[in-house]
Amino acid sequence: MSRRNLPETEEVKMNMTPMIDMTFLLVVFFMLTIDLTTKEFLPVSLPFATQGEENKDRDPDHKRFIINLEAGGVVEIRKQRYDLSKENPVEQDRAVQDLKRLLKNFVEERRAAGEEVYEPDGACKVPVLIHADRAAHWKYVQWIMQVAADPSIKIYRLQFSVKRPPNMKEADAPAGGA
Amino acid sequence: MAVQVPKAEDTEMNMTPMIDIVFQLIIFFMLQLKFKEIDRQIDSNLPKDRGLAATPTQPPDFQKIKIKVFRREFDKAETEQYTLVKIDNTHEFQLPKAWKGYNDEPKDRQNEYDATIAKIEAVVKSKWNAQPDKSLVKGEIVAPPPKGGFVPHGDIMRMLDVFLVTGLTDVVFEGAAAPLTNAERAAAMGGGEG
Repeated sequence: MSRRNLPETEEVKMNMTPMIDMTFLLVVFFMLTIDLTTKEFLPVSLPFATQGEENKDRDPDHKRFIINLEAGGVVEIRKQRYDLSKENPVEQDRAVQDLKRLLKNFVEERRAAGEEVYEPDGACKVPVLIHADRAAHWKYVQWIMQVAADPSIKIYRLQFSVKRPPNMKEADAPAGGA
Repeated sequence: MAVQVPKAEDTEMNMTPMIDIVFQLIIFFMLQLKFKEIDRQIDSNLPKDRGLAATPTQPPDFQKIKIKVFRREFDKAETEQYTLVKIDNTHEFQLPKAWKGYNDEPKDRQNEYDATIAKIEAVVKSKWNAQPDKSLVKGEIVAPPPKGGFVPHGDIMRMLDVFLVTGLTDVVFEGAAAPLTNAERAAAMGGGEG
């Protein structure tokens, strides 16, 4: 049997161009889908509700204020923590007052930046999102609502973070919801 | 004078470092990616006209469907606590004890919870259907202190959800929250309209 004529070994070069193209596309995709606002959310166990709707408001100029509430009664806003669960009424009062001041500062900040924060009737345009743990006591949520509706702040628009029950039927979804 | 020009070589850029960095970027952005679809919200408004008024002023011809929620045994261990739901003082339901949410409960408990919610929905729906003028019907979620204050947020949201499922979108939260010593601030708070 005659020896087969093997081809000469060439230096094999991979063409990198398509891979780099795809890789850049992936980078762009992930860059665009990244939503830095989620960084403000604490990982809490959200309450379940069938009628929750996706937030379609992508207008960054009217970003809402996000108030996290942990199960134990600790409020966290932009890394600042306020413990509302203190038994001592004086400490409790201080936490609530601090919360009020902070929220007021947020609104003032917006106003100083030249934004129309208030409606003609005096209500605040910017909503507050209450991102609360489902185990948190309702009274803490009530206090947050109370702070938001304070005459010096006047935020009447509220949003509650919820998620769908895992066993929900599609038929139960809200009519206009996604 | 003839200068010997060096032969044009096939210059090749070394791609390896760039690809390394690009992959790092991909990994960074991938880890940042969060699927937001489970994150939904319920919008609601606090009543502007009323604000913090202790006694809500409402036209007397409003028909209310009132859901009262209490936390029973709230001073005992967590496993003993449960939420009691009263609808217009005619119906009473007990949510499962120490309910932690779907993900943390066995299947039979989930079904028990769902069945209770379905019963509450049925009652609210029948009351809603019995009303001739739907525009005059308000839902009300009352959490009387101190027992009401200990109701988990999740249960209140579920009751709000019951109203929304029924089609009742005008919901008021009631329940004096008195966190403050100051008499004025201790005055009851109004609530939110969903």
